[in-house]
Amino acid sequence: MRDLVREYKGGIRAVDGLDLDVATGEIYGFLGPNGAGKTTCVRILTTLLRPTSGRALVAGCDVVRDADLVRRSIGVALQEAAIDPLMTGRELLRMQGALHGLRAREARGRASDLLERVGLVEAGDRRIGGYSGGMRRRLDLALALVHRPVVLFLDEPTTGLDPTSRAALWREVRALNNEGTTVFLTTQYLEEAEQLADRVGIIARGRLVAEGTPNDLKARVGMPTLHIELAEAEHAGEARTALEGIGPVEPPDPRAPTRVGVRSASGKGAIAPVVRLLDERGIAIVAVEVESPSLDDVFIAVTGTGLEGGAVQPPEAEAVES
Amino acid sequence: MSAASGTLAREGRVVLALGRRSLTIQFRKAQLLMPTFILPLMLLAVIASGTSAAQGLRGFPDVASYVAFIVPGTIIQGTILAGLTAGIALASDIEFGFFDRLLAAPVNRVSLVLGRLAATIGLALLQSTFFLLVAMPFGARYSGGVDGAILAIAIAAITAAGIGGIAAAIALRTGSLSLLQSLFPFMFVLLFTAPAFFPRELLNPILRDVAAYNPLTYVVEAVRGLLSGTSVGDPLTGFAAATGLALVTTGLAVLALRERLRTQ
Repeated sequence: MRDLVREYKGGIRAVDGLDLDVATGEIYGFLGPNGAGKTTCVRILTTLLRPTSGRALVAGCDVVRDADLVRRSIGVALQEAAIDPLMTGRELLRMQGALHGLRAREARGRASDLLERVGLVEAGDRRIGGYSGGMRRRLDLALALVHRPVVLFLDEPTTGLDPTSRAALWREVRALNNEGTTVFLTTQYLEEAEQLADRVGIIARGRLVAEGTPNDLKARVGMPTLHIELAEAEHAGEARTALEGIGPVEPPDPRAPTRVGVRSASGKGAIAPVVRLLDERGIAIVAVEVESPSLDDVFIAVTGTGLEGGAVQPPEAEAVES
Repeated sequence: MSAASGTLAREGRVVLALGRRSLTIQFRKAQLLMPTFILPLMLLAVIASGTSAAQGLRGFPDVASYVAFIVPGTIIQGTILAGLTAGIALASDIEFGFFDRLLAAPVNRVSLVLGRLAATIGLALLQSTFFLLVAMPFGARYSGGVDGAILAIAIAAITAAGIGGIAAAIALRTGSLSLLQSLFPFMFVLLFTAPAFFPRELLNPILRDVAAYNPLTYVVEAVRGLLSGTSVGDPLTGFAAATGLALVTTGLAVLALRERLRTQ
């Protein structure tokens, strides 16, 4: 998309000059807090909303001029997409098949295949009103896949789901991506973006404020820190001097006299040299912990604010006992 | 198969699928079933028991039974309710996001409106048949025979599409479920400004003048004429009124959808 703008009544710009490229076959995570413009952007890309200005192409087709061609190429699972509670999963899948031009027999077969794929075979003939949140999201995903789309839009697909359901949906999204489907995923969960996305775009107030792989983005705000817990505080000074060869050493913390911190771009890869270095000097180590900057740190760094309502991922930590 | 007929067949499948979905929901949702099937029957019972003496008035048509005379009013009431529920269901789809699912599919926008109205037609066919059958044990006889009844039901179904078209246009323009629900009282205005339960000749002069501009007047009289096998109403005029209403309001609904898509 190029210079995409969407202005609502009253001059509010939900999307404000967005430039974005998503490569075929990648999972692109679109990250931002509520009201950042994610959903407006997805609605434009899925032809549900016209841009005020600018241009967007999906699967090579213009979302305004070739809207029908875009609709043939995309699968959409919208955040607020209602699923009829009075219909069964199978009925809804068959209807969706008809909407995408499948004949009755074809739609029946596809519905059965998809119910199996998302693990809803037993629930397929039950009314959706009795489905759990996770089952509804899986059905929503199945509905988006009826016509085998090349691009899949998932708008906050796991919001409100329990960890097990979330993990199941992530597995399915990865599997779809492995089959060649390009996935455009909006989320306010940092962990989700980190787990799934090849690249992440951070949107704030309708503008793209940062973009890159999760690791690139995190590297931009700083290097991982190795926290080394020594057996004896008296060796802390010597350890700090020795570790200067690894990277910048953190100043001593009087509240944790046995703890020494050193930053290294190698992250976990620096554990072995650190252990070896201190071992050579006879300095006993109790534990080593690696703390990476999180996407939340990235988000705060680029927007000056945290993700309101977003689940903040705990720091990546790996402990080595010695 | 040519490209045009292929497209037509595809859109036909879409209309049928959407119609089936709407009817399925209608029959699984008690709050939609009650007003469309039970409310008209209750009014029929009240009017049949309370005003049957009207049959003795001078100028009242010579009909086999009073129930048979007022059943066309019940049928038309049913068509109005079927049409209104189409608008309510559409507004509900818009408000709760289901309509977005339809808009994101590669289907002709006209098919989205026709799919909804197909369900309204199906509902009206079932309703009208149900009302005719239920009235029989209470003395209703249809001298027009099965042919007359079938034509009467067909006209009623087209009329339901006409009312559904208005309701759909309002739903598409406003997207407001509560507005559609507030339109229920207007059903009675439409109903009682047509000779639904009383002969036009015996209406008060002002109401009689208003009735001349209400397309339902010609529909209800045509249905009455077809069922009774008399010339109390002209079937062709009724058919023309119903078809005209359906075409105009379906057009309005399509325009409302286009406007919605253009301005949202």
